[in-house]
Amino acid sequence: MTAVRTTPPPPGPVRRAELPVAAERRLANGLRVIAFEQRTGPKARGTPLIAAQLLSTLGAANEDASRAGVAALCAALLTQGTQTHDATAFAQAVDSLGARIDASAGADATVVSVSATTPAFAAAFALMRDVVGAPAFAASEFERLRTKAIGDLALTYSNPSALARLVTNRVAFGSAPYGHPISGTRTTLAALTRDDIVAYAARTLRPERAILVIGGDITTADAFALAEATFGGWQPAAPSANGVHPDAPPAPRARVVVVDKPDAGRTALVAGRIAIARTDPSFISATVATAVLSGYSGRLNREIRVKRGLSYGAGAQLIARREPGVFIASTLIDHTKVDEATTVTLDVLQQLATTAPDDAEMERRKATLIGGFYRGIETTDGIVGTLGEYALYGVPLGDLQDYVPQIEATSGEAVRAATAASFAPDPFVVLVGNASVFIEAIRSAHADVTVIPFAELDLARPELR
Amino acid sequence: MTSPVTSRAAALTVAPIDFVDRTLPNGLRVLLVEDHRVPSVSVNVGYRVGGKDDPAGRSGFAHLFEHLMFKGTANTATETIDRLTEDVGGYNNAFTTEDITNYYDVVPAHFCETILWAEADRLAGLLVNEANFHTERDVVIGEYDQRILAEPYGMLDELVNREAYTVHPYRLGVIGDPENLRAATLADVMHFHDTYYRPDNAVLVVVGDIDLDATNAWIDRYFGAIALPPGAVPRVGIVEPPQTTERTYTYRAANVPLPALEYAYHIPAATDPDAPALDVLETILGMGRSSRLYRSLVYGKQLASMAYANADLRQQPGLFGLRIVVSAGKELADARAALDVELARLSDEPVGEDELVRVKTQIASAVIRSRQTYNGMALALVRAAVERDDPGAVNADLDRYAAVTAADLQRVARAYLRDENRTVIEYLPA
Repeated sequence: MTAVRTTPPPPGPVRRAELPVAAERRLANGLRVIAFEQRTGPKARGTPLIAAQLLSTLGAANEDASRAGVAALCAALLTQGTQTHDATAFAQAVDSLGARIDASAGADATVVSVSATTPAFAAAFALMRDVVGAPAFAASEFERLRTKAIGDLALTYSNPSALARLVTNRVAFGSAPYGHPISGTRTTLAALTRDDIVAYAARTLRPERAILVIGGDITTADAFALAEATFGGWQPAAPSANGVHPDAPPAPRARVVVVDKPDAGRTALVAGRIAIARTDPSFISATVATAVLSGYSGRLNREIRVKRGLSYGAGAQLIARREPGVFIASTLIDHTKVDEATTVTLDVLQQLATTAPDDAEMERRKATLIGGFYRGIETTDGIVGTLGEYALYGVPLGDLQDYVPQIEATSGEAVRAATAASFAPDPFVVLVGNASVFIEAIRSAHADVTVIPFAELDLARPELR
Repeated sequence: MTSPVTSRAAALTVAPIDFVDRTLPNGLRVLLVEDHRVPSVSVNVGYRVGGKDDPAGRSGFAHLFEHLMFKGTANTATETIDRLTEDVGGYNNAFTTEDITNYYDVVPAHFCETILWAEADRLAGLLVNEANFHTERDVVIGEYDQRILAEPYGMLDELVNREAYTVHPYRLGVIGDPENLRAATLADVMHFHDTYYRPDNAVLVVVGDIDLDATNAWIDRYFGAIALPPGAVPRVGIVEPPQTTERTYTYRAANVPLPALEYAYHIPAATDPDAPALDVLETILGMGRSSRLYRSLVYGKQLASMAYANADLRQQPGLFGLRIVVSAGKELADARAALDVELARLSDEPVGEDELVRVKTQIASAVIRSRQTYNGMALALVRAAVERDDPGAVNADLDRYAAVTAADLQRVARAYLRDENRTVIEYLPA
């Protein structure tokens, strides 16, 4: 028997994917349609699935904060019946096709998505058109989902990490558009009426403000023809109204906001600040910087979990949106280790803002983004979602081909500069946990500390109580 | 204008997963699928060891092992697998169930040989010392704190296993007991590796942008060199006696937002001919908004905020779980009564033809979705090989579901969803 090697064999030559090329058209009613065909061939197992996504280009950030939750409730109601199918009939119609039709509200868009097997798709797509163009908004459904939304808040608030994210948005944005909770509060949800939902839908779900992405096991020509046949007759219900005029977000400020929740199992820690918009020229550099910080082998997890065992995991996220969104580093820790984890987290950010990563680290962290990108487009839904995000933010559709070269071209110095400009200066810290265990240590290490008992927390207010 | 989609065949045709199946002289079973859609490859190594195989007084060992397998070998430093996956643009992870410990790596295709070497290397020999053993044990206990203690309904799965089984080791669950883990020694760890981490106790699955000949040569070189140890792998032979009376357990904790209830019924193993009917029952009760529990409890009567059904089919007899979380302001007793009505319907009335066709379409579509990715295909092969000793089942499953009749469903509901065959867990706010 030959000796078995004791070092990893090197990689073979790099392989590249042949990616689908998206085409686009605009229908007469103003709807922008983007289509692609998934690649199959010999030894390329075809999946008989087609998927589509319709994005309105107004989202929860555009809702009136005193009606927080209207976008989310509107989206939830879209799939609870149309003018031809009540909620039960609609659910049965979707399930009978083995289809999935979902709607959700994000900060910048309401997204309605559909996927189905090839023979079932045309029928599923027609149901999705009715979701967008002829929703029922039945009064009984409105009451039911509003009650459910209020009930769901209890579950969200019982989860320290979920609650910390809601608090983070208020700390970062205050009364500006991304500050209020998309899920609403007990007060705002209780005040909503069905008319609010109808008005919100009329303002946001309009062909001239929407984008349709469709692709998978279908030719581009067939996809365009199906889009025309299905959505060509969609006309908005009423004249378009202007959106609200938002406040500007507060300037970044180094502060610690503690929500004291003595029954929390562990403390959720979030550190961050307002960073950049999706179209910012530094987006690619900031994305690579986030990759340097995040992931199992990223700097935050190495320092917090691997080196010190303070947590089961730590990571970072850049939420780049139409307007500048947040960068956050987050972890979930034992109450007794909050002070140490906070210091380590902030030190990691400052370190990256000061010193450019070396070439070896840059290569590894870029590889994570490139691999993640290819995996993201392994499924039909994944390609639809990627193209939908590009279209929503005005990113060229050719980025499907150009993203990988852009990542490869990013330097360590660009990563340091993006961190110094957008992540590291004056970060806030949000802590949701049993404050009595750690508050003394936090107060001695930080000048600006606010403690809010959970009972006094009010996410409807920019000041949080 | 002609309708563009009618020109396509109306019937759903699904390409089989075209796998090559062979067993090395040392007993390692190898399943390969060549597919060139994306320049990526999924490597899964599934070991026939899970929570049920934990040694006495060492509950949580299989899961602890899942962590220790990342700590390095004689040839590699700790976290080498992470560097060889995440740092080249892939990812890896592992999970432990009652029956399987599965390690999976998804990497760019040109790293296929590298990752095969690394998986063979950690099968052949693990390097654990007191320091990394203690560190990883603390991480596992931290995971227990996070997943079981901190999550509002985190303890429910543990309670279901613990209360539904009286003697079978499924009763100890997977994540284990922090006290048992604290009592473990390094010698225990090494003995566990020698016992279960051997080639004849593993299944290697490779799916993706590969050349079959080259991949087989790498597998022969790296995995084929591992010796087959003497003796046989120990197997759990304990048989849970039939349950004859309903049991109820009430749990209270401060972080439970709303009361929950679970019914857990004993069901046969995944290989049993009744298994497809149990999956169909799960779908009828709990999959999607047209499902019976959703329409009755969540949507209709609004007594529950969530309602789940789960045919937890395992290598040895498993559990059929029904779980509800009561809506705010509603009574657990009322929600439970509504659940009982739905259970009685399954035994009393045959399922109608429309509903049967619908749930079969739902199942087929879900199976197709789950196999879109290389890793999804690989995982299906691992599970079929370990849980059912039949990887070919992945291509027979859709036909097995299609063959289920309304009479089968009624018979199976009557046979298993009986009060005296269940354990009731009431999960309540303190």
